[in-house]
Amino acid sequence: MGTSITVSQNSEAANECLDAINSRFSGSGIVASIEHHSNAKKFAFIRITTPPQHWLALAKWLYFDLDVNYCSMITGTHFPDGPDERGWEVAYHLLRQPISNQLPNTNTVYVAEKLDGKLIPMEFEVLIPLENNDSPTVPSVQQIWGGADWNEKETWDLVGIKFEGHENMHRVLNPHDSPEEFHPLQKQHKIRYHDHNEMYDDAQGFGRKPADEGRVK
Amino acid sequence: MAQMWITMGPQHPMTHGLWTLRVKVDGETVVDTEAELGYIHRGVEKICESRDFTQVTPYCDRLCYVSAMTWANSYIYAAEDLLEAEVPERAEYIRLIAAELQRLASHLMWLGAFGPDIGNLTLMTWCMRDREMFLDLLQELGGSRMHYNYPRIGGVKRDIPIGFADRMIAKVKLFEKRIEEYEMMLDESTIWLVRLQGVGYANAEEMVAAGVSGPNVRAAGVNYDVRWAHPYSVYDEIDWEPAVEKPTSVKGADCYDRYRVRMEEMRQSCRMVLDAIEKIPGGKNTNYANGDEMIFKKAPTRAPEGATGFSNYECTRGASQFYILGGGEGRGKNPYRVSIRSPMFITIPFVAKTMIGYKVADIPAIMGSFDPCIGETDR
Repeated sequence: MGTSITVSQNSEAANECLDAINSRFSGSGIVASIEHHSNAKKFAFIRITTPPQHWLALAKWLYFDLDVNYCSMITGTHFPDGPDERGWEVAYHLLRQPISNQLPNTNTVYVAEKLDGKLIPMEFEVLIPLENNDSPTVPSVQQIWGGADWNEKETWDLVGIKFEGHENMHRVLNPHDSPEEFHPLQKQHKIRYHDHNEMYDDAQGFGRKPADEGRVK
Repeated sequence: MAQMWITMGPQHPMTHGLWTLRVKVDGETVVDTEAELGYIHRGVEKICESRDFTQVTPYCDRLCYVSAMTWANSYIYAAEDLLEAEVPERAEYIRLIAAELQRLASHLMWLGAFGPDIGNLTLMTWCMRDREMFLDLLQELGGSRMHYNYPRIGGVKRDIPIGFADRMIAKVKLFEKRIEEYEMMLDESTIWLVRLQGVGYANAEEMVAAGVSGPNVRAAGVNYDVRWAHPYSVYDEIDWEPAVEKPTSVKGADCYDRYRVRMEEMRQSCRMVLDAIEKIPGGKNTNYANGDEMIFKKAPTRAPEGATGFSNYECTRGASQFYILGGGEGRGKNPYRVSIRSPMFITIPFVAKTMIGYKVADIPAIMGSFDPCIGETDR
């Protein structure tokens, strides 16, 4: 029989994490809550919303005190029509994984049901809403989680979020000679079939030009 | 002799896709590396923003052409989180079987490509022969050999055909014996040992810090696996245990450990599908019509504004993740933003750095042992 983390372990760990965050950061503008996925096993995760100026302190604390050792994903989103205080949003997905170095010829075989405390894997979602302006900026966490390095490069390359303090920032997916300030996932760039009706009216695409013609090489 | 930069790629025998590795060498020794990606960046994330939730699935298939089923599943779980869909249990079993068959096919493709990297061309022909069996099985499910477009939000496209179970059991049991043949050929082969042992060390903590996941971390001696840590599907109901290796050095896993852990994973996948096909609700030799509620439950097609969906999925190369924002602009039937986390995008820059200190001739062995796939890396 396969053994998995159970719902009760998950909710116990989520409550512990939430209490720890609230006791450390309450009143600072950092808001944390327990949310539940509605897929698979409906597990809980911690959603933290923080203003950008507190992000670095929060990240260090998560890393050193909550053992959040894995930065798996960074997502930048552009909301051109959004409210002024949320024109951009950066979402970090962090994981706590019970992984440590091994001595030669040994390994660690965790039995999920016997895990407790900080060994229980936990998922964190950190949301940083940014003001609606031309240069969205958050502090870089490259020095805390090495895994954030290329994620941040990608987020800058595709979305145009600037990561303050990131060393060696460069294009990773777009060509290196892309025009400056060209970040294709910003919403002002439309792909050819952005509007469905257009697609069905002229399925072959004759007689029309890409919406971003003249702005992209 | 002075140090110099050599550019390997974008086309060279070692690549598993188009990418460039710039290597700074001092004689035969690698002293610095730089990975350059993006050669086949197709803008999948942007395209997905103008497709509805069902139309996104085929694009996710095409993220990795060696492991299409797991990527489509990964997207589907995120979409189900967003749209709050319910999935019948039979569909979950079918997805599990499909994903594990895909894992077998993908690991065989890895082994088949890894053999010629090391100097063992026989391996490629053997692996292609066996991969064929699993592609045939997946073809029975999805109707095509590479991009299946099989899972749906709320279930699967169609049920397993009559006789699929028997054919699958026969093939998987045959393949279990073939794994032993592979091991007889490789485990103590001189070429294999000389090229792989003591090469490309990476320990567990530095891999986790750098964002590496999946079999590469399990090779370093920790049985961490998304399938039990953040369980989805029905992995908790079937008989399996995560593959894990015992590295022989304090420096962590070498290329040989990474080869061993994938062989063990193939065993576990065989064990899983054999167990799952017996436990499948509704019986293994029944075929429900398309859209029957045993295999498909209709899900909402529009996501409310502000809703998000996230999935963490054990893909064949590590943890693949999707983060989807729904709605916005009055366009509730399209995702507002689809973000894809590819395990290899994070792993390749890390691997490039692990090569430092080894010889130029070790580069294919080190790179190949991490199982790179550029389709998912560049998206």
